[in-house]
Amino acid sequence: VNLRNTPTREFDFVLLLAALGLTVYGALLIYSGSLTTYGSPGRALSHPVSRQILFAAIGLGAMLVLSRFDYRAFGPLSLTLYAVTLAMLVFVMVVGASAYGSRRWIVVFGTQVQPSELAKVATVIMLAKYFSDNEENMRSLRVFLTSLLIAAAPAVLVLLEPDLGSALVFGVMWLGMVVIAGVRPAHLAGLFATVLALTPLAVVFAQNYQRDRFDIWLDPNKDPLGTGFNILQAEISIGSGGLFGKGFTHGTQTQLDYLRTQTTDYIFSVGAEELGFIGAMVLFGLFIALLFRCLRVAGLADDSFGRLIAVGVMTFILFQVFVNIGVNIRLVPVTGVPLPLVSQGGSSLITVLASLGILQSILGHRRKRGRRT
Amino acid sequence: MGILAGNRRRRWRAEHAETADPHQQVNQKLWILRLVVLAAFAALAVQLGRLQLVQGSHFQQRAALNQLRIEPMIPSRGLITDRNGVPLVANVPGFSAAIVAADIPADRDLQIAGGIEKLLGVPALETTLRIEAARKSRDPFTPVVIKDGLDQVTAFHLREQLPSLPGVQVVVDPVRRYLAGDVMSDVLGYTGRVDEEEFAALKDKGYIASDSIGQTGVEAVYEPYLRGQAGRKEIEKDATGRELRTLGEDPAKPGNDLVLSIDLDLQKKVAQLLAATPNGGQAAAVVMDVHTGEVLALVSLPSYDDNVLSGKIDETKLQQYLNDPNKPLLNHAIAEQYAPGSIFKQITGTAALQEGVATPSTTIAANGYINVPNEYDPSIVYTFPDWRTFGPLNFYGGVAWSSDVYFYYLAGGYHAYGQNFDGLGIDRLVKYAGYYGIGRKSGIDLAGEADGVLPSPDWKKQTFGDDWFLGDTYNMGIGQGFVAATPIQMVRITAAVANGGTLLVPRVVREVRDAQGHAIVPAEPKIESHIPVSPENYAIMRDAMTQAVAYGSANPAYQADLKIAGKTGTAEFGARHPDGTYDTHAWFSGFAPADNPQIAVTVFLLNGVGATNAAPLGSQILDYYLHRPQQQVAADAAAPAGQTQPEATP
Repeated sequence: VNLRNTPTREFDFVLLLAALGLTVYGALLIYSGSLTTYGSPGRALSHPVSRQILFAAIGLGAMLVLSRFDYRAFGPLSLTLYAVTLAMLVFVMVVGASAYGSRRWIVVFGTQVQPSELAKVATVIMLAKYFSDNEENMRSLRVFLTSLLIAAAPAVLVLLEPDLGSALVFGVMWLGMVVIAGVRPAHLAGLFATVLALTPLAVVFAQNYQRDRFDIWLDPNKDPLGTGFNILQAEISIGSGGLFGKGFTHGTQTQLDYLRTQTTDYIFSVGAEELGFIGAMVLFGLFIALLFRCLRVAGLADDSFGRLIAVGVMTFILFQVFVNIGVNIRLVPVTGVPLPLVSQGGSSLITVLASLGILQSILGHRRKRGRRT
Repeated sequence: MGILAGNRRRRWRAEHAETADPHQQVNQKLWILRLVVLAAFAALAVQLGRLQLVQGSHFQQRAALNQLRIEPMIPSRGLITDRNGVPLVANVPGFSAAIVAADIPADRDLQIAGGIEKLLGVPALETTLRIEAARKSRDPFTPVVIKDGLDQVTAFHLREQLPSLPGVQVVVDPVRRYLAGDVMSDVLGYTGRVDEEEFAALKDKGYIASDSIGQTGVEAVYEPYLRGQAGRKEIEKDATGRELRTLGEDPAKPGNDLVLSIDLDLQKKVAQLLAATPNGGQAAAVVMDVHTGEVLALVSLPSYDDNVLSGKIDETKLQQYLNDPNKPLLNHAIAEQYAPGSIFKQITGTAALQEGVATPSTTIAANGYINVPNEYDPSIVYTFPDWRTFGPLNFYGGVAWSSDVYFYYLAGGYHAYGQNFDGLGIDRLVKYAGYYGIGRKSGIDLAGEADGVLPSPDWKKQTFGDDWFLGDTYNMGIGQGFVAATPIQMVRITAAVANGGTLLVPRVVREVRDAQGHAIVPAEPKIESHIPVSPENYAIMRDAMTQAVAYGSANPAYQADLKIAGKTGTAEFGARHPDGTYDTHAWFSGFAPADNPQIAVTVFLLNGVGATNAAPLGSQILDYYLHRPQQQVAADAAAPAGQTQPEATP
C-alpha cells in the first residue's frame, strides 16, 4: 500500500470541542446580555441567540466541508480570493453601512456581512502561499517587503473604514507568520526601527477620536457619561463579579443596562460579572486549548503552506482575544474587535469556524503517516 | 593556532546552520509561540485577578451605588394666615419640564431636544447645550428645569410623550399662590426657584435643583420654619433612569404654619386709604400694638403682585416693576430711610423733660425765628426759622404747635443777645436718640431693613470731615438735617411714648405652629429695652401730643368720638427750589385712645404736608381699627378659612 499518497483523514476532536465550548459559552452570555431587550429566546428567529446558533451551524457546516477539502487547492486560488476580498473592502468603503461613524458592513441577503473578517483568512492564505513559494529566498529583502505589502493592503483599507483594531490584526498576523517562515532578524529589526521613528507622525495624524479614546482610557472619569462610561461600567461589572460571580443572568450591571454593547465588544464583562473569576478561567482554558491545538496543527503540517496557515489563524485568534479582553479589563485602550467565537456576530463566527475547518484539513490531508513526532 | 581554531569554529557554525534540521527549528519557534500564548493569558489573568479578587469589594460597592438613587421628597410648605385665621397663601401644583442628563443616551441628544422644541417651544439648541453642560457637571443625576410654569394640558401632553424622550421628566411641585395679592406682598414676599449659587449652599439641607425658596418678606425670613424637613426615597433605577422599585422611604415632614400679627381687614383698609391720597406715589403706613410690638398692618405703596414673582416669573411685569421710578419692589416702610421731621420731637421732648432741660411750664418766646451769631465773627448771623410765629409757648404749646424755635432751645440751648438757656446739647440728644433706636434696625422679622442715620459729631467728622455746629444740633432737634429713619423705626418710638418707655421689637409673625396646630414659637412680646424716661414725663408727652390733635398742628387728625394723640411732621428734602422752598415728606405718628393707648400708627407720604395729608390718614386708620364693626372681622376670618384650608381642621 502506498501510504505516502493516502490522506490521514485525521480529525481533531479536541479542537472541535474547544471551539464548540467557546461558541456555547458565547451563546449563553448573549442570552443573558440580551434579556433586557429581547426577553426569552425561541419564539423569534430574530433573537440574537437564535441567530448566533444559526451562524454557528453554518460555521460548523463550513468547518466539516473544508476539513474534507484538500487545503492545497487554496494555493492556486489564493490570489483570486485575496483580490476579491480587497475589492470587497473597497466596495464597503463606497457603499457600506455606517455604524458609530465607520463603514464596516455590506448587506447581503438581508444580513450584515463584515468583509474585514473574510479578508483576515484570505490574507493568511495569500501570505502562506507567498512564503511557501519563496522558501528558498526567505532571507531576501524583496520577499520580506512584498509580504509586508500583502498584509498592509487590507490593513490600510480596514484602517480607512476606520477600524484600527482590525487593521492591527493584519499586522500581528503577518508578524507571527513571518517569524515562523524565517525571515532575517535584521529586516524585522529595521522595520521596528522604522515604525518607532514614524510613531510621532502617527500621533500627529491620529484622528481626534482616537486621541480622545486614548486620553479617556487613561482617565475615564474625564467623561464618565460619554466615552468613559463603557470603560468605567465594564470595570465595575468585572470587578463586582468577584471570585464566583453574581450568578448567570443575575449580573446587576448587565441586567440593568449599565453595560453597553454587552453582546459584542463587552461580552467578556457579562461573563466576568455573572460567572466571576472562575468562569473567566474556564473561558481562558478553552481558548488556551484551542490555540494549542492550532499550534499542534502547525507542528504536524506536511508543508510550510499548511504550517503557515495554522500559525496565521492562531495568531489572529490570539491577538483578538487579547485585545478584546484587554479592553474589557482596561489593559488595552478601547479598540473594537470581537471576541472570537464568543461575541455576537455571524461574520466573525463563521470565518473563525471555517478557518478551523481549514486547519482540520491540514491535519487530515497529510500524505505521510507516522512522521517522527 | 588561535586564528586557526577561530576559523574552524566559524566554518562549523555555518555548516551546521545549513544542515540543521528545519523541522526542529520550526518546532522551537512553535514552542516560543506556545509560551507567547501562555504569557498573554497570564497577563490577562493577573489584571483580571486584580479587578475581581483584590478590588472586588470596592467594585461591588460601586455596582450597588450604580442602581441606587436617593431622591429627596419635598415637604409641603407651611401655610400662612392673618391674626384672625384668614388664609393668605395656598400651595397649588405647578408643572415644569426637566432633564436628567445622566439618563439621556449620548446619541439621542438631538432627537430629545427636537421633541422638546416641538412640544414646549424651547429651542433645540438651547436644550442641547444644557444637556451637555449638565452632563459635564459634577452631578448629572440632578434634574435641570428647562421649562417652568407649564399649563396642565401641556404637562399632560408631555407626560404622554415621555416614553420616547428618555431622561425627560415632568416635575410637579407646589407653587405658592398669594390669595390677598398686592395688599400683602410687602409682608409676605414670595418664593422663587433656587438659583445655581443658592443650590450649591442648600444641597445638603435637602433642597433639590428644581426647588423653591423664600426670596423676601416672611417667606424668606421664616424659610426654615415654612420649609419643613425633606424626606428621602431610596429607589432602584436602571441605566436609563427608569424607576424600578422603591426600596425605602423616609417621609417628608410638612413645614410649620405661620399666624401673622397682621389683621388683613385693617391691612386692606390702610392700603385703600393710602392709595386714595391725592399725593399718590410712594407711601407707607405701619400700625403696631403698643403693648406687644405686633404689627397689625404694614403697607408700602406702590405695591406689587407677589403671584407675578412666585414660581414662573412674568418677565414683562417684572421689568415694569424694575423700571417704575416709585420702586414698587422696595418696602418703603422698612427699607428706605427719610428725614423724620417734627415727629422726631417726641425724642427731643422726652429727653429734655427727663434731663431737666424743660418742665411743662418752661416758656420760650417763639417769635418765628432765632438768630445765632457766628462764634468767631459776631457780625455773621445765622437765622433758624420756625414754620409760624407763636409768641410765648410752654412745653404743651411747644409740642402741640410743633414750634421749631421751642425745640431749637431744648436741643441746642440759646446763649446770645442776653439770653442764657441751656439745651440738651448734642451728646445728650444723641444718647436719647440711641435709646429710641435711631440709627439701628428695629429688628422686625422682615428682610431688607434699613439702619437709618444717627448723626453725631464723630459721625459727621468721619462722613464729611467737618466739625459739628450748633446749627446741626438745632436741625437734629426738629428731625431735620442728617438724621434719617424708617417708618417702622418711628412707629415703635411712638409706641414707646404710648406704653411708657418700652422699646419693642416689631413682629409681623405672631405665632409659629406645627402641622398639628401646636405653637412652637408662641406669641409673646419681644422687648428690646426700657428707655430711661420716667412715666410722669411720658404722661406729659402724651398730654402734649393729645393737645396737638385737639387744637394744635395735628388737629386734622381730630375725631369727636376718639381721643387721639399724635405728632405731625413735614420734613424738607432734596434740592432747594428757586423760591426758597423744598419738597417735603408728610409724616404722622400717633396713638389712640390717648388716655389708654392700644395701637400706634405712623403714616409716611414721600410728598406732602404732615398736617394736611398724613394726619387725616393716621386718624382714619386709628378710628377704623378701634371702631370697626367686629362681626366684619369675624366673617372675614370664617368664610375663606373653611374652603381653602381643610387640612387645618382635622
